[in-house]
Amino acid sequence: MTYNLFIYIIIAAAAILAVTAGKMLTSAIMLAVASIALSLLLFNFNAPWAAVFELSVCAGLITVLFISAVSLVKKEDESLKESRGKFLLLPFLALAAFITFSVILPPWFETLSGYAKYPAGEFKVGEIIWNLRSIDLLGQVTILAAAVFVVKSVFGKRSEQ
Amino acid sequence: MTSTFSMDWLFAAIIFFIGAYCMAVSRNLIKQLIGLEIISKAALIALISAGALSGNTNLAQALIITVILVEAVIVATGLALLVKAYKVNGAIDIKKLNNMRG
Repeated sequence: MTYNLFIYIIIAAAAILAVTAGKMLTSAIMLAVASIALSLLLFNFNAPWAAVFELSVCAGLITVLFISAVSLVKKEDESLKESRGKFLLLPFLALAAFITFSVILPPWFETLSGYAKYPAGEFKVGEIIWNLRSIDLLGQVTILAAAVFVVKSVFGKRSEQ
Repeated sequence: MTSTFSMDWLFAAIIFFIGAYCMAVSRNLIKQLIGLEIISKAALIALISAGALSGNTNLAQALIITVILVEAVIVATGLALLVKAYKVNGAIDIKKLNNMRG
């Protein structure tokens, strides 16, 4: 539990730094740090497949996408002047929200935990993905195809009139 | 804080709050996508915690893999649209993206 608490604090701190950072590159790197910490948490929850996906896709692929997008719109960092006050306020707001939530929400979460339904049997991840939730795979393939079409239509060459 | 489940969901709520605040106050499109990513991390924490509570971590893993894939697709599509909007408008400020205003 202490280990999980430590990881949660790292994730929350990395998220706050990602939001408050002045440079977009720092934001992207802090998001990657949060992803790495989340994958450690998933390993600790005995969910290695999800942790590996989190580490490779979120900490790897998405960070690369963000950094490439930042490098493509680099001049925007200087031209978009946002007031820094609303971002620097976030750590205090997060602390206030933490204190408020820790008073209000735990009784409700305890009620929610009473609704947990325990599984009839033990299934492996592969069995769940391929047999029990195979319709999810159809959805995933459809979404991937839709994303490919969007990226192609956005960046595809077309004759200029 | 009475149980592990409450602690997990409390931190999920805090991380959700951070992401939602980022999406609410920022005018930068990249920051908006970063806020969305932070919110999805809160969703992953809630999923794995619920899976661990009911002793069905493998089903939670299957759902998390789906969520991660959807997340990657959303970010790829959003960043492609962002770069295109930057090429067209020269800005990633959401207040300047009002070409389609009626």
